[in-house]
Amino acid sequence: MRKILTYMTLCLMLSTSCDVWLDVKPYDKMSQDELLSEEEGFIKLLNGIYIELNSDMLYGGALSVEMLEVMGGAYIMGTDKSVWGNYIDLASYEYGTPYWRARLNETWNKAYSLILNCNLLLENLEKGGVRFTGDNYKIIKGEALALRAMLHFDMLRLFGPVFSRHPDQQAIPYYRKCSTLPNSRLTAREVAQEVTHDLLEARILLANDPIRTEGTMTDAPSDGSSVFMYYRNLRLNYYAVTALLARSSLYFGDMKSAYGYSVEVIRAAEEGVFPFVDRSLVTGSPDDPDRIFSSEVIFALSHSQRNRLFKNYFDPSRIPNYVFRMDNDLMSNRIFGGGTLTGGSQDDYRYRVNWVATGANRYFYKYADMVQTGNVCNTMIPMLRLGEMYLIAAESRSEDIGAGLVYVNRLRAKRGTGALQQLTRETLQYEYIRELYGEGQLFYMYKRMYSPIIFSVSENSNPQPDDAIFTVPVPDTETEN
Amino acid sequence: MRRLLNISVLIFISLVSYAQGNVAVLKGKVIDSSDGYPLVGVSVIVTGTEYGITTDVDGFYELRIPQGECEVTFSYLGYDDEVRVYTGKNAQSFSRIVMSMNTEQLADVVVTGVYERKKESFTGASATFKTDELKAVGSANVLQSLKTLDPSFRMMENTRFGSNPNMMPDIEIRGKTSIAGLKEEYGTDPNQPLFILDGFETTLETIMNLNMNRVASVTILKDAASTAIYGSKASNGVVVIETKAPSRGRLRLSYKGDFGLSVADLTDYNLMNSREKLEFEALAGVYKDNSGDPFAQIRLDNLYNERLKEIERGVDTYWLSEPVRTGFTHKHNVYAEGGEDKIRYGIGLSYGEVAGVMKDSDRRTLEGNVDLIYRSGKFQFSNKLSINWLDVTNPVVSFAEYAYANPYYRKYNADGGVDRYLYYPQEGVDDYPVANPLWNAHLNNWDKASGMGFTNNFIFEWFVTEEFRFRAKFGLSRQDDDEQMRLSPLHTRFDDMGETEKGLYSHTQIDELSYEGDLAATFGKVVAQKHMINAVGGFNFSSGSREVYGYSANGFTDDRFDAPSFANGYPSGGSPDYSESLKRAASFYVNGGYVYDERYLMDFNYRLDGASMFGTGNRFRNTWSVGTGWNIHKEPFMSGDDFFSMLKLRGSVGNPGNQNFSAYQAFSTYKFNGWMTNVFGTGVILNALGNAGLAWQETVNYDIGADISFWGDRVNLTLDYYWKHTDPLLAVITTPGSMGVTSIAMNAGSQKTEGWEAVFRISPVYRPAEGINWNISINAVSSRSEYADIGDSFSALNESGKTSLAGTTRYYDGGSPTAIWAVRSAGIDPATGKELFIKKDGSYSFTYDVDDEVVVGDTQPRIEGLLGTMLYYKGLSLGCYFRYRWGGQVFNSSLFQKVENIGTQDVYNNHDKRALYDRWSENNREAYFKGISMVQKTEKSSRFVMDDNSIAGESFNLGYEFPDRIVRRMGMGAMNIQLIMTDVFRASTVRVERGIDYPFARSVTMSLGITF
Repeated sequence: MRKILTYMTLCLMLSTSCDVWLDVKPYDKMSQDELLSEEEGFIKLLNGIYIELNSDMLYGGALSVEMLEVMGGAYIMGTDKSVWGNYIDLASYEYGTPYWRARLNETWNKAYSLILNCNLLLENLEKGGVRFTGDNYKIIKGEALALRAMLHFDMLRLFGPVFSRHPDQQAIPYYRKCSTLPNSRLTAREVAQEVTHDLLEARILLANDPIRTEGTMTDAPSDGSSVFMYYRNLRLNYYAVTALLARSSLYFGDMKSAYGYSVEVIRAAEEGVFPFVDRSLVTGSPDDPDRIFSSEVIFALSHSQRNRLFKNYFDPSRIPNYVFRMDNDLMSNRIFGGGTLTGGSQDDYRYRVNWVATGANRYFYKYADMVQTGNVCNTMIPMLRLGEMYLIAAESRSEDIGAGLVYVNRLRAKRGTGALQQLTRETLQYEYIRELYGEGQLFYMYKRMYSPIIFSVSENSNPQPDDAIFTVPVPDTETEN
Repeated sequence: MRRLLNISVLIFISLVSYAQGNVAVLKGKVIDSSDGYPLVGVSVIVTGTEYGITTDVDGFYELRIPQGECEVTFSYLGYDDEVRVYTGKNAQSFSRIVMSMNTEQLADVVVTGVYERKKESFTGASATFKTDELKAVGSANVLQSLKTLDPSFRMMENTRFGSNPNMMPDIEIRGKTSIAGLKEEYGTDPNQPLFILDGFETTLETIMNLNMNRVASVTILKDAASTAIYGSKASNGVVVIETKAPSRGRLRLSYKGDFGLSVADLTDYNLMNSREKLEFEALAGVYKDNSGDPFAQIRLDNLYNERLKEIERGVDTYWLSEPVRTGFTHKHNVYAEGGEDKIRYGIGLSYGEVAGVMKDSDRRTLEGNVDLIYRSGKFQFSNKLSINWLDVTNPVVSFAEYAYANPYYRKYNADGGVDRYLYYPQEGVDDYPVANPLWNAHLNNWDKASGMGFTNNFIFEWFVTEEFRFRAKFGLSRQDDDEQMRLSPLHTRFDDMGETEKGLYSHTQIDELSYEGDLAATFGKVVAQKHMINAVGGFNFSSGSREVYGYSANGFTDDRFDAPSFANGYPSGGSPDYSESLKRAASFYVNGGYVYDERYLMDFNYRLDGASMFGTGNRFRNTWSVGTGWNIHKEPFMSGDDFFSMLKLRGSVGNPGNQNFSAYQAFSTYKFNGWMTNVFGTGVILNALGNAGLAWQETVNYDIGADISFWGDRVNLTLDYYWKHTDPLLAVITTPGSMGVTSIAMNAGSQKTEGWEAVFRISPVYRPAEGINWNISINAVSSRSEYADIGDSFSALNESGKTSLAGTTRYYDGGSPTAIWAVRSAGIDPATGKELFIKKDGSYSFTYDVDDEVVVGDTQPRIEGLLGTMLYYKGLSLGCYFRYRWGGQVFNSSLFQKVENIGTQDVYNNHDKRALYDRWSENNREAYFKGISMVQKTEKSSRFVMDDNSIAGESFNLGYEFPDRIVRRMGMGAMNIQLIMTDVFRASTVRVERGIDYPFARSVTMSLGITF
């Protein structure tokens, strides 16, 4: 009998130790439990998400300089199919070709895969049990929430309906947690609520962001100690979240909020967090200017081979391959010419710094490297910049767009150009083009305003606003699986 | 347990009380008839009572019995009962009791690897085969022979790799339980049965390498009642293999050898000769210029005339003969065994060399094994150690490349050398060069692998009482394999590469380690003559790990110097390969069997399994099974009727599961971004999203069967009907992109399978006394499966199947996993030469619409089986086994890809003769195939689906057992010789190329067995 008892105890011991024994962890890959058992893991995962934003399908190409800018009419297209290939289809908004269907699908999948990463980070963070130094818990959580909101917001801007016209149309799914079952698509308005909700929560969490007291902190130590809390302008910092709220509020038609948030960022900038570039930019060393106006950037990605953006799309030495550039007439008669009527001037820093002549044409050099190697500026892909805040403030100050003139002129004063006499939708749009060219915002601007897309000076040939143009179809894999 | 103790106490008391009465004492020794060795643990019982005793370690017994007459029974497992009548005076006749082994009784035991049961009292569906039966039908390996003996054991024919000796086959018992076609995704075949070797789980590779001469018996467990003891690993059936245990006696040496020849079976190839090929090319428009350039047309005319001239000179090259050879196979096994009752030992050495029918296709195995059994009183220790070595080479140029080569090219140039190209276009001509397969084959390329492993299985048994036994097992197995491949820099594959990048060397190392432990208690007793109780309970744990390391190097400059040290560097962007997996499982199990009066049978199994592959939310799973049976032939109303020696009905139900899934599918894993770092350093990102809620795949399995034997065992019939329901299925499902991953391991839908099996054997002539016996066996299996509740889970697979060139498998509710989906075809329209399709609604159309796809056939035959006959005459035996398949269809890919769908590139390859004949043209309007064209694309339609009814001569054999007197004169103990021919012929209603990359083989083997 005693023997049986011994056996039974043995069995009992075995069964409890079974669970431990069966808990096998992969060695060739990082298991979640292992990675996210300490602060360092969360920091690495968060950084991994920032790094992946640089991929070609997102802001390292498609959503900054390439696909979205072609759709936004920024580039003059050639007619030779063998040179321009699929871009000709895209410039005429043929989203249904196999190539663009696949490309849009890639972008969609990549964005949502990063959303999943955000959700995994947030879920594990909320599980607790990990000790964080200082305010890191709040900073990490705030940034992850803001990333999730930003990616959803951009998917809504791309695949959703024209918000001002069809806010209750089915748009995209919003993932607030990691799930093995698909979420259904929400209406644009519901997505807007979710985006705003996440951004507001992120803003509260980031209330103690050192950027508010220390600035962008680009003077990181080089002694090998942690730089996690430095380069705040390369993270979704407090002001970046505020700026994102300004951008999203304007898109969702909440003018009051848009004005409030944009003015908050402008004030902070005026207090020295994001100083404007000055005249030395064009006088000091004209051969090697800070072309992306790095001090004004509220949030940028850090892309170690950003030079590729220039080399792959804008470099005039690419000829006879396609090169992206602005239509000559548009440049000389509207954007950087045309006098007080258009506000275009060749004295504009943005013209003098970023548009360089080769032969008869001028080419876009915003993404060309500065001579000094290892300069952080050479890695930056701007996601939010101060200039946009002035334009948002101008647009949202009142129902009457003319009332925003003061903000536009304050911006123009910092660009070495004269004041505008009056502000219209067109002149505001020209200002957006000058400020945000090559940053993937123009298509969304036309979509928001439901206005013609400015490809060229000839109004008749510019695409007229149309839901079929502005609403990119949600990928097939989404609706079929 | 307490009852058990009570019973033994009772016996003890009754014995003591007897000793006090008027008693006689019987004394003696029990020995084995074959070698005179004492038998230990023989039970000596006064018949009809519970008074008894067992023999001691020297075989002695001392039994006190009541005065007067009585009957004493001596019984021992595996031996015939010995019954002696004590008359009160003949005590001296009890001094020496000789018992002999009962071979028949051993054959009627079902070995499950965990416990053993008499077949008569077992409710499960199983089939057992002895070494002689296995050896009689084939000598390649155990599984090849099983295929011929039991039709429910299916080795899937691999039309691509044919009879490649280094290719592991796909194996199924009673059909598939998992989503087919996902083997690559899982890395393991989810339909593969579980293999148990000497009580320990093992791999398919081990069984394939096992020398057949070491095998004692193989048992196939098919239904829930027999497999459920293996719980969550058992849903695909279990194959239990027992190797021979050393037998007692003076040192005995035996030698077994197999010597075989095999030749390639190329009868399925129906390629054009040189004249036909040129005519075909001309008709296809190869020699017609479309650019309007007169010089181009002149060049093409010249090319045509040159080739025609060669044909006129008699060039008609038969390329298929180049890569093939007559393969010589020889295998040897030497086994020395002996020992006395306490210690028995066996030492064996096996060597096998299989030369495949393609050149450079070899497989050599060397295996040494040591078996030891030590028994002392109530304890027995046994250990089996085997060490194996493996060496493999594969051809570098696949058979298909020879089949593609055109017959109007010469193999060798004027100097007798091999040219790099058969055809190289002139400067400035936009044309593809044609590589010479002989060129790549003659280079110093190689593809080889070697491996070394050992397995040590230790079993300790404690015979606590006659009824109660305790057993502990531990097995350890290690296998290290090493694969290396080298391509010469002169290989045509590198033609477009820079000089420093040519040539390739790759090295992969695979290390596997597994161990398994098991503790079990066994109880077996007959109570009051009528109640037979058997029980087993135990605990099992197992672990298996696998690590793979690999790298490649390139930049060889010389054909001859092939050591990796001559490589220039690593391929740009290449990184070392590494992967690892670790699987662990732990289980508790209980099995019980109860038989009332040998008539009513009941079995039950329960097993609790835990496995590391399943998520923390679903880590443990229960498996159960219940089986019942009725031995009608033992019923009183049948007594006196000697006609039926067995008439048993049985039924079982249970829910075995499946664990053949990848190790880490339940885990979310992360990886480094790798492609970029930023000012903040490195980052990590999700690699695979795990599904912690993943449920185990389980198959509820019903089986009803009957075992019938009559006419003095001369007619045997086994019938089974089964029904399986796998729910849920586990599969990798494509998900909407917004979930953040494109696929995830999930539970989706279910699969139902229904089938029956019949095995019939009759001995029309049966005269054992004269050594004459003639058997005829007929067996048949049939099964049908369908999916249910899968909805749109596999829409992505369906879509990719629709767009793929020849994919005909679809996943729809109600559809069969083996169904062929295609658009129905009404044939070629005589007037236009276009294919006429039948739409879903029955209307006709010339336009192909993939949405008109319906089921147009099923690759699973309606009925499949074997016809066999075996004749024994004195020492001579003759056997024939034929396999038949009826009622299945096949999508004829030869017609689809080598008759039609010959595009602008394929047109330069040689093709099936039918590509030239029976094509539609103005003069041949009733043709089955479209007109010859290089640009016309043919879609998958029912026109290429054909009935696949076949009969094949799977195994013919002739054996001779030399009579004792001859063998003795030669100084040997026994000797037999056997000649086996396998895959002798095959006749099919469909003509399709089989063995694309490696041809099928026909072989003949002579086997020799000598015991000294």
